[in-house]
Amino acid sequence: MFKNYLKIAWRNLLNSKGFSFINIAGLAIGMTAAMLIGIWIQHELSFDRFHKQIKDLYIVYNKSIFDGELHCWPSTPPALGPVLKQEYPDIKYSARITYVDKHLFDYNGKKLEAEGFDAEENFLKMFTFPLIAGNMATALSSPYKIVITEDFAKKMFGTTENVVGKIIKFDNQYNLTISGVLQKLPSNTRFQTDYITPWLFYRVQYNGDDQNWGNNSYRTYVQLNSGANLKKVNAKIINTTIKHSNGNEDNQIFLHPFGDYYLYNTFKNGVPSGGRADVVKLFTFIAGFILLIACINFMNLSTARSEKRAKEVGIRKSIGALKLSLVGQFLIESVIVSFIAGVIALILTRITLPYFNELVSLDLSLPLLKPSFILAWLVFVLATGLLAGCYPALYLSSFKPVQVLKGTFVSVNAVVTPRKLLVITQFTFAVVMIVSTIVIRKQIQYAQDRDSGYNKNNLIYTYFNGEIHKNQNLIKQDLINSGVAEAVSITSGSFVSSSANSWGLNWVGKPEGAKIVFDQMATQGDFAKVLNVKVVKGRDIDPQLYPTDSTACLLNESAAKIINAKNPIGQIIDKDFIKWHVVGVIKDFIWGSPYDPIQPMLVMGPAQKWSNVVNIRLKANQPLSAAMPKIEAIFKKYNPAFPFTPLFVDKDYEVKFSEQQRTAKLAGTFALLTIIISCLGLFGLAAYMAASRTKEIGVRKVLGASVLNITALLSKDFLKLVIAAIIIASPIAWYAMQNWLQKYTYRIEIEWWIFAISGIGAIMIALVTVCFQSVKAAIANPVKSLRSE
Amino acid sequence: MIKITNLEKFYRTEEVETVALNKLNLEINTGEFVAIMGPSGCGKSTLLNILGLLDDPDGGSYLFNGTEVAHFNERKRADLRKHNIGFVFQSFNLIDELTVFENVELPLIYTGVSTAERKTRVEEVLTKMQIMHRRNHYPQQLSGGQQQRVAIARAVVNKPKLILADEPTGNLDSSNGNEVMELLTDLNEQGTTIIMVTHSEHDARYSHRIVRLLDGHTVMENIMM
Repeated sequence: MFKNYLKIAWRNLLNSKGFSFINIAGLAIGMTAAMLIGIWIQHELSFDRFHKQIKDLYIVYNKSIFDGELHCWPSTPPALGPVLKQEYPDIKYSARITYVDKHLFDYNGKKLEAEGFDAEENFLKMFTFPLIAGNMATALSSPYKIVITEDFAKKMFGTTENVVGKIIKFDNQYNLTISGVLQKLPSNTRFQTDYITPWLFYRVQYNGDDQNWGNNSYRTYVQLNSGANLKKVNAKIINTTIKHSNGNEDNQIFLHPFGDYYLYNTFKNGVPSGGRADVVKLFTFIAGFILLIACINFMNLSTARSEKRAKEVGIRKSIGALKLSLVGQFLIESVIVSFIAGVIALILTRITLPYFNELVSLDLSLPLLKPSFILAWLVFVLATGLLAGCYPALYLSSFKPVQVLKGTFVSVNAVVTPRKLLVITQFTFAVVMIVSTIVIRKQIQYAQDRDSGYNKNNLIYTYFNGEIHKNQNLIKQDLINSGVAEAVSITSGSFVSSSANSWGLNWVGKPEGAKIVFDQMATQGDFAKVLNVKVVKGRDIDPQLYPTDSTACLLNESAAKIINAKNPIGQIIDKDFIKWHVVGVIKDFIWGSPYDPIQPMLVMGPAQKWSNVVNIRLKANQPLSAAMPKIEAIFKKYNPAFPFTPLFVDKDYEVKFSEQQRTAKLAGTFALLTIIISCLGLFGLAAYMAASRTKEIGVRKVLGASVLNITALLSKDFLKLVIAAIIIASPIAWYAMQNWLQKYTYRIEIEWWIFAISGIGAIMIALVTVCFQSVKAAIANPVKSLRSE
Repeated sequence: MIKITNLEKFYRTEEVETVALNKLNLEINTGEFVAIMGPSGCGKSTLLNILGLLDDPDGGSYLFNGTEVAHFNERKRADLRKHNIGFVFQSFNLIDELTVFENVELPLIYTGVSTAERKTRVEEVLTKMQIMHRRNHYPQQLSGGQQQRVAIARAVVNKPKLILADEPTGNLDSSNGNEVMELLTDLNEQGTTIIMVTHSEHDARYSHRIVRLLDGHTVMENIMM
C-alpha cells in the first residue's frame, strides 16, 4: 500500500512540474527561514545552561527604590561575596568577578592585546569551563597566575601544548605564570574572554580594596547546596548589605537563577518581566508564521487542483478504500514534498548561514552530523508535512465517489472559501511585516537625526594603558604643541557610552530622602571645549586658569533643573566627601541611548581622580591621514610598550543604533521572504484559475471582450483578497508597532502614509504576480481554447 | 442476492425536492444479468449507486445476501464493497498516474492480498482480458476499448459476486462496445451477477432481464429469451 502511495505521489510530482516547483520552492524557502531562526533559538535557549551545576547557580541582584519605583540590577559591592558564603550555610560557593577589560600581554617580545576578567578561585568549580591543561583546583589560587583560553594560547604561542608554566607579562608590569588552558569556550556563554586572572591579582593591582559596600561594580555568583530553598535563602540574605554597611547603604539583595539570567533579566517593579525571552518568543512566532505561509501555498494549490485528484479519490473509495486510508495517503504525499523541501532547505541553510550570522552577529553552525540535529530535522520535516497536508488530506478524502465518478463534480466557489481565507492570512502577515520594517527604519532614522548636543566629527579618543596615566600632562601638551589638536581633555569615560552613575549627591534644597540618579563623569579640564558642547551658563572647567577648579563641576541642563536653584552657578554639590562648586551649565548631550531622555549629569573636576580616557579634538582643517601618525608618535614616545589604539566618536556613536539596525535588517529579510513565498503561491493559484477558466475566457473573447477586460476579470478576485488583507493587517501592525515603540521614550508617531505605502506595495506586488498569468490567458487564441472543449 | 423494498431517494435543494427513487421494489438473483433502462433522470444511476453502497437511500430496505445494508456505516460499506462488488464506469475511471498493471492491482492492495499473489492474479486477469501486452502502459496511452477492458479487469480481479456497470459502452464505438459486452457476458456465464445501466437497447439484449424505470419506479420488466 505504502509503495503504491509513494508511486502516485512521485508521479503526481513529475506530472505537474510547475505546481511541484512552486510547492517545493515555497516550502523550502519557508523551511530555510524556520531552520535559521530555529538554530538561533536553540542557541538562545541553551545560553549558559550547559553548566553541570546550573540548577544551583545564582547571580546576586541588588534592589532599591528610585523615584518611587523598585529597580533591580546585578552589579554588587565587592565585600558581598565572601560575607554571603561565611554567614549562610545554604551557600556552598561564592565567586566575585570584575568587568571585562582589555590588557596588553607580552611573551618574549610578542605582544597581544586581550580581554579578560578577574575571578575568585571558586569560579572554575561552579561553572563548567574545563581545562585542557593545568590544575583546576589551584589555577586561580595565588595572585600571579593566569588561565588562558585555547584560542589565546594558539594566538600567543601557536600551540596549546606545554603552555602551562610559561610566564607572560601583563601590561608591561606584572609577570604572570600560565596555570591552565581553558577548552575553547562555546559561543553560548556570557563569559566570553581570552583569559581569567585570579581575584587576588585584582587585589594586588588595586591595593587590596575589596571590602567596600558602596561600589556596585562587580558581579557576585553563588552556588547553593543541592536542595536549598531559594525563597528561604532570599528571605535570609535580603538585608546583608544594609547590615554590614551599618546602614550607609540601603540596597537589598536577592538571588536570581543563573539559568534564567540570559533570557529573563528584565525586572519591572521588582518582578521579572521577560527580557531576551521576549525576542526569542517573537522570533519563534515569526518562524512559525513564515512556515505556515509556506504550508498555506501547499494547501491552496493542493485543494485548487482538487478536481484532478477527485477522480482518484472516487475510484479508491469505490473499490473499498476508507476515508482514513485516503487521509493517510495524502499526508504521505505531503510529507514526501516536505522531505524534498527539507533537503533543499538544509542546503539553503548551509549556504545562507554565514549571511544570517552576520545579521545576528553570531557564529552559529549547522551540526549536520549530530544525531540530535538529525532527529530534530526529521521531526521538523514530518511536522511541516503534516501541517501542510492536513487540510488538503481532509478536503480531498471527503469527496463523494457518486459525484466525482459521474463527472458532475465541480469545486466550490463560495464567497468565503478556506482558500481565500488562507491567501488573506498570507498577505496579512506580509503587510504586517512591511509596515513593521518601515516603522523600525523610521524610528532609527528619527533617533539618528536627533541632535546629539555636541560635535562628533574630528573627535577621537583612546583608553589609558601603560604609562599614559603617568605622562598624561606631557601627552596633552605635546598634542597641543604639535598643532594637530585643538584641545585635549582627560576624562573618566568616553563621550559615547554612558558608564557611571550615582545617587549619592546632595545639595541645598534636595528633598529629604530622595534618591535621584545622576550620570557622572570626571575631567581634568577643557571638557566643554573638547566635546564642543554649548556652555549655557558660566564657563568650562579650567584648572590652569582657575586653580580652585580642582573641585569645580559642571551640570547639564537637566541637572540644573533638578537642583532648582535660581542661579546654579556657585551652588555646592556634595559628593564623595568633596564639595563641588558649580562653575558652568552645559547643554544636554546624548551620552546613553539616543532613544532615552537625557539624564541629569554631573561632571567633576580634577579632584576626582578618575582618569581613563584621553579625548582629542582635532583641528578641522587637516587631513586625518596626516594627523594620525603625529598623534601616534606622541603616544609611542610616552607609552612605548603599548600599541596606540585610536577610537572615533562619530563611528562609535553609530554603534548605538546597531541593535535596532539589526532588527530592521531581520524584519526586512523576513518581510521579503514572506512576500516571495506568498507571491509564489499566488502565482500558482492564478495559473490554476486561468487554466480552469479557459473556456469562459474563450467565450468572452468571442463575444468581444478585450485583453484588458479579461486581465481585469481574472485579477480582480485576487486583488480583493489582498485589499482585505491590508484592512486586517493595518490595525494589527499598528498595535504591534505601537507596542514596540513603547520601549523608546524618544520615538516616532506611526503615520497613516506608512499603511498607505505598505498597502500599495502589497497590491502592486500581487498585481504583477497575477497579471502575468491573467495576460497570458487573455492573449490566448479563443478558437484554440473553445475547440479543445 | 439483492432484494430492495420500497426504496426511496430524494434530492433536495433549497427550493425543490426531486424524487429520484419512489418506493422502488426489485429483486435480483445470484447469477443474473440485469439491464436497467429508462430515460435520463429516471433514477437508474441513483439506483446503481445505492446498490453499490456509494450512496444512502432515504427510505426502504436493501437486503444484500439476506443482510440489511441500507444503513451500514462507512467502514462496513467499504468492507462489503471491496469483497463483493466490482464497478465498471462509462468513463473508465482509471487512475492516470498508475500503469495498467497498477490500476488492476489496486483492489487487491485494499483487500490485503500478498505481493506475489497480486502479481499472479493481475497477470491472470490481464491475459483473460487480452491486455497483458499493455501492462506497463499508462491509461492515456490506450484506446477507449482497451481502457474499458482494463477497467473491467480491475472490477473482476477481486472475484466479486456482483458487477455494477454504468453505461459501460457509452464512450466506445460499436465494435469496442460489443467486445466489452462479450466480456461481461462471459463473466456472467462464469457466475458473476451483473447489473448494468444502459441507454442502449442493443447492449440490453445481452442481459437476462431488462428493468425499465420511469420517475423513480419500475414500469416494466422484460425477460430476455
